Amino acid sequence: MSSTQVAPLLSISGLTKRFGVVTALWNVDLSILPGDFVAIFGPNGAGKSTLLQLVAQLSKPSEGSIEFPEAADSGREEVGYVSHMSLLYNDLTGFENLVFFARLYGIEKPVERANELLEKMNLKQARNQFAGSYSSGMKQRLKIARAMLHEPRLLLLDEPYAGLDQHGSRLLTGLLKQLREEQRTVLLITHNLGEGLDLSSRIVIMNRGQVVYRAARDDVDETGFESLYFRTVEG
Amino acid sequence: MQQSATKYPELATAAKWLRAAWWLEIPLLLAFLVALWGAFVYAPTERVMGEVQRIFYFHVGSAAVAFFAFFIVFIAGILYLVRRNVVWDQLAATSVEVGVVFTTIVLTTGPIWAKPVWNTWFPWGDPRVMTTLVLWLIYMAYLILRSSLPEGDKKYKFCAVFGIIGFIDVPIVWMSIRWWRTIHPVVITSEGANLEPRMSQALLMAIAACMLSLAVLTLLRGAMRLNQLVVDRMAQDVIDSKRSVA
Amino acid sequence: MNALRLIGILAAKDLRIEYRSRHAFLTTLFFALLILIIFNFAFDPGNQSIKDAAPGILWVSLLFPGVIQLNRSFQSEREEGTLYGLILAPIDRGVLFFGKFLANFFLLALVDLFVLGSFFIFYNLTFSTRLGWLFLLMLLVGIVFSSVGTLFAAMVSSVRARDVLLPILLFPILVPVVIAAVNATREVLGTGELEFFWQWLRLLVASDVVFIAGSFLVFDYVVEE
Repeated sequence: MSSTQVAPLLSISGLTKRFGVVTALWNVDLSILPGDFVAIFGPNGAGKSTLLQLVAQLSKPSEGSIEFPEAADSGREEVGYVSHMSLLYNDLTGFENLVFFARLYGIEKPVERANELLEKMNLKQARNQFAGSYSSGMKQRLKIARAMLHEPRLLLLDEPYAGLDQHGSRLLTGLLKQLREEQRTVLLITHNLGEGLDLSSRIVIMNRGQVVYRAARDDVDETGFESLYFRTVEG
Repeated sequence: MQQSATKYPELATAAKWLRAAWWLEIPLLLAFLVALWGAFVYAPTERVMGEVQRIFYFHVGSAAVAFFAFFIVFIAGILYLVRRNVVWDQLAATSVEVGVVFTTIVLTTGPIWAKPVWNTWFPWGDPRVMTTLVLWLIYMAYLILRSSLPEGDKKYKFCAVFGIIGFIDVPIVWMSIRWWRTIHPVVITSEGANLEPRMSQALLMAIAACMLSLAVLTLLRGAMRLNQLVVDRMAQDVIDSKRSVA
Repeated sequence: MNALRLIGILAAKDLRIEYRSRHAFLTTLFFALLILIIFNFAFDPGNQSIKDAAPGILWVSLLFPGVIQLNRSFQSEREEGTLYGLILAPIDRGVLFFGKFLANFFLLALVDLFVLGSFFIFYNLTFSTRLGWLFLLMLLVGIVFSSVGTLFAAMVSSVRARDVLLPILLFPILVPVVIAAVNATREVLGTGELEFFWQWLRLLVASDVVFIAGSFLVFDYVVEE
């Protein structure tokens, strides 16, 4: 490591995760610098979601390590996690959900913080609707708001585009672009190659529990990327 | 070989257990012969109950061993939660299996004895019988829990937790059943606290024999479990090693 | 102090959700009522035999609805993954345990009150201070029930067969508590002196202490991933 390099926000080395006799992740190395917007591509079952769960410290690695070199403690609070599941209470309103989680995080002004995020996520009108009645797009944005309550340094997004219609996707893309402009560090899992390329600063392709390709966004040729992806994953 | 010994430390443990079981097999055989002789020849025939009372020795021996096995489950559970070494979990699981076998022996030899003596198959009044029955229920529940969870640390943790809660329940079960029965008229008095010396000697022989069989069964079954675990992991490692280099 | 506040926040959240999906809770109450009534048909009402069986019937009609209630408390947390949300938050696992425990305890106490009321009418009881003792018994049993129950419900919530598994795990553990409760109830419903009542009460209090402490100590291992 040269002296000019910034210290990584997150460094993953030799990460392996087994579920019983199934190996979901095998010997993954990855380091994320502050301000990186990393898009992770890969077919279903490649271990992408497992990787995010491990980074969020919702499960323990079988081998290897996940470190947040700058963090005081284990780094759990460095992370905001948006999962497949909503992590929201359907019988609470969007506002109540945010206030509840803000209180758990010990945020000083939970009500103000909740309102602020609802505004940012364009959910102000739906403030007092039950989260269970939200459309997929609204729910997706509320999920991201929930994950951002405590201003985490690293945002983990697990397929935020899943189940969104065109309108919802466009809103989400706008939001993600905004996050990128704010220089936030993001790990994004997506099946949407185009959107992923547009947003990211770095690209990772995973297959069968391993990282099979990695590159800086600028080194990737946009037109040839789809065929590159299929060659990597099938080859 | 050296490498697999460090990569699969459970192999060494299993080998150790197998060796220990091997050393105990001859003593076990001798102890059982002595205990059978003690129960059927050496001990005098009970005056009131007759020959059927001779089942008492192995009945009580099995009960003592079952309690001890469940105590191992408790200790091994705590050790697993603290150390996270899968060997403790496998020891706990094995002890439950063996303990349930011995509890089942207690609950089946009991009626054989109870029917001719007290004219009832199942003496609901006896606190020991009741406590054994509840123990059987608790540890059957343990086995059901175990079989319904997927392999992995989570399963081992949950089983350890249940083993611990189950065991701290035992004294409460015992107290409650004893009070229950002292309040209601006790039809069946406990079977003579003052045993004839030769009877108590025969009982000691039976307990020793049962303890040895607990040890041997646990070691053999535990080694089998550990080996199975290692074989599964080896198979996975072979699959892993065939992956293309990243 | 802060921990107490967080426990309150967690429990209040559960109760608010229970209130909003109250049809589920009302169904549980109806189930309790149903058990009470079915037992009346199973035994001959008005007969002496039902009087003897009454304490047992009372407790059985609390156990089964109670298990359903417990299962629901974690089922909702699993379905939308909110349990992960709770685990990710920087709160102590003990806080999480007592938050869940408190909500479950409160809801069970409501079931207790409802069953006690129905029981009072069906069995033609008379008002006396003894009913207060009976409710105290219910609360003491409720502590064991919701502490071990919260622990086990968290454990089985990820298993497909959780609906069957929870009572299978819970009932054997609860045997002594049920024995104590039924026998103490028999004395309370009788007309004689409360001779052994205090002894049973002591056993229940001891179980409360043991099981709260035990469940609290191991809860961490159940929710950590």
